[in-house]
Amino acid sequence: MDLYEHQARELLEEAGIPTPRAIYAQNSHDVAEATKQIGFPCVIKAQVKIGHRGQAGGVKLAHDLDEAILASEQLFPMTIHGHKVNGVLVAEAKNIIHEYYVSISVDRTSRDYDVLATANGGTEVEEIAKAHPESVKRLHIDPLEDFDFAAAKHMAEQIGFYHADGDQAADILLKMWQAFHNTDATLVEINPLAKVGDPDDESSKSLCALDAKISLDDNAAYRHDGWKRFVDPTEGDPLENKARALGLHYVHLDGQVGIIGNGAGLVMSSLDAVAGAGETQGTDVKPANFLDIGGGASAAVMAESLEIVLSDTKVRSVFINVYGGITSCEEVANGILEAIGSMDNIRPIVVRFDGNKAKEGLRILADANNPHIQVAQTMEEAAATAAELAANAMKGDAR
Amino acid sequence: MTLFIEDGAPVIVQGMTGHQGMTHTARMLNAGTNIVGGVNPRKAGTTVPFDLADGTTADITVYGTCQEAREATGAKASVVFVPPRFAKSAVVEAIEAGIKLIVVITEGIPVADSAYFVALAREHGARIIGPNCPGLVTFGSEPDAKGVNLGIIPDGIVPRGPLGLVSKSGTLTYQLMGELSDFGFTAALGAGGDPIVGTTLLEAVQAFNEDDNTKAVVMIGEIGGGAEQEVAEWAKDHMTKPLVAYIAGFTAPEGKQMGHAGAIVSGGKGTAKEKKEALEAVGIRVGRTPGQTAEIMREIMAAHGIR
Repeated sequence: MDLYEHQARELLEEAGIPTPRAIYAQNSHDVAEATKQIGFPCVIKAQVKIGHRGQAGGVKLAHDLDEAILASEQLFPMTIHGHKVNGVLVAEAKNIIHEYYVSISVDRTSRDYDVLATANGGTEVEEIAKAHPESVKRLHIDPLEDFDFAAAKHMAEQIGFYHADGDQAADILLKMWQAFHNTDATLVEINPLAKVGDPDDESSKSLCALDAKISLDDNAAYRHDGWKRFVDPTEGDPLENKARALGLHYVHLDGQVGIIGNGAGLVMSSLDAVAGAGETQGTDVKPANFLDIGGGASAAVMAESLEIVLSDTKVRSVFINVYGGITSCEEVANGILEAIGSMDNIRPIVVRFDGNKAKEGLRILADANNPHIQVAQTMEEAAATAAELAANAMKGDAR
Repeated sequence: MTLFIEDGAPVIVQGMTGHQGMTHTARMLNAGTNIVGGVNPRKAGTTVPFDLADGTTADITVYGTCQEAREATGAKASVVFVPPRFAKSAVVEAIEAGIKLIVVITEGIPVADSAYFVALAREHGARIIGPNCPGLVTFGSEPDAKGVNLGIIPDGIVPRGPLGLVSKSGTLTYQLMGELSDFGFTAALGAGGDPIVGTTLLEAVQAFNEDDNTKAVVMIGEIGGGAEQEVAEWAKDHMTKPLVAYIAGFTAPEGKQMGHAGAIVSGGKGTAKEKKEALEAVGIRVGRTPGQTAEIMREIMAAHGIR
């Protein structure tokens, strides 16, 4: 799960990392209230789970109440790179002297934790790496290591927090690691980690996390009460939410062929096969979704899956691709018949079975003799048929 | 030795007495795997009867700990069906008991737990396969030898033959094995769909390259991470056998997890296209569909005179 900035800030604050005073607001009235506590000038920042927010006009400086209200009225209705703005963060404006970038993430290749850091912070790290590759330091934390203050101090020295207090940099690194580790994060990024204060007063200068990005490991949610405080039930795609509640892996896309299969790899492969068939047939037909019924799915799971896929009104045909390992094709066949027996507005369904109880499953479908169901021998053939049926239905719609 | 384990090696099952454990222990036994014990501290000292397809019954002893099981049976490998929240301690226990091959089937283990036990295994010279994988099946190093079936890969799809297969996906493994069943396999290894796995695609490809019985290798990758690119980079100068690849997820959108925890394109990285291009750049052919991948393998086998 990716967090909004205001949520990430909350976790950093809990870890003891200095952040500017800030209040999350969901309407202009709350923004006005927030400015009473934060004061002026303040920064009004759109809350979206996507980068390049600043360049897109999602961050505004306000010197007085009128500017703050105007800024919030501009930000609330905004959509940034396809993401609808979810509230704003009203934050104390800091005088920035220097910007650093620091992140900790899971490194899939070295199978440990990556610490990326540079004294040229402020923009996206990919851009920093392009412009100043020599300035980006990449260090590692071993999963078996006890990363303590001494280790953090050593790391801060290697990174080279020029112009900053080495002990404070080490303290922030250590607390970042603790936040990463204790929350089961896969990414904790502070950018910028800024040196702020009055340029003429040395004693006022200190490091402060001005913006942060945190991603949490969904597999570890059980250790954190499901991260209830961060979950917004109104957020996201309604069909995806419904599928999640049923324990199904469903991703909503915007094509016309609904896809159901067992195993993430086979389902992804089915999506690719349908998109490929659409291209070959010159129809631009695309997959409407990804739905993995998992291993050993029952007839009931299959029926629920088909209902979800068919409740997407854009779907013109369905491709069901099952290679029975643990999953029994017999169960899947029963689930298909169960679902279409109780539904209106069925669309053509192309089924391909192989493996465990494939013959039995195909026999059940043949015996049912349902006009909506077609059987294919291979997944390539099934994908082509499903794509063609969807294209024909679309031609029908256009007429 | 076929891919990380001796023919007929004794094997224990952690989480054997659970539903998944019971189902698949019966399956593994029927496939001829030498299962010598289960581990469950609450059921230590009991035996569990498994009715086999040949009409006989296998009585499998349950031990309290991996240490006891290994000392009593000489187990060389463990298959783990323990639920996610207990998986870390189960795998750590197996490592510390001196078991050198641990196959973790469990899906949904926090990545920090996997990072920990994978690092610990490295320190102890143990190998982990998975997590979130279908396991490892081998077909015996000699024509008459029995291999092992560790995990959930169905038995009976394919006979022994010259191909090696490594995959991030379970069902695509079965699909490709099915497509190439007329050739047969030396072994098939499910590397797993999590961000951190104990045996990478590269380590499996390297092992197949060393294995005398394996004449050609099929690799099934998917979006997320850079495991396929690592194979490309290594294979360029070191691979001595034909390698054919398939990559799933060309249509996957940015930032969406496609079923597997590790199957995600993030920040434009880990796309299927990027992987395909990296492999093709070093001369590894990549099929558009599983069926076409099998076709490419047939062509290559014919060209090399492999049967």
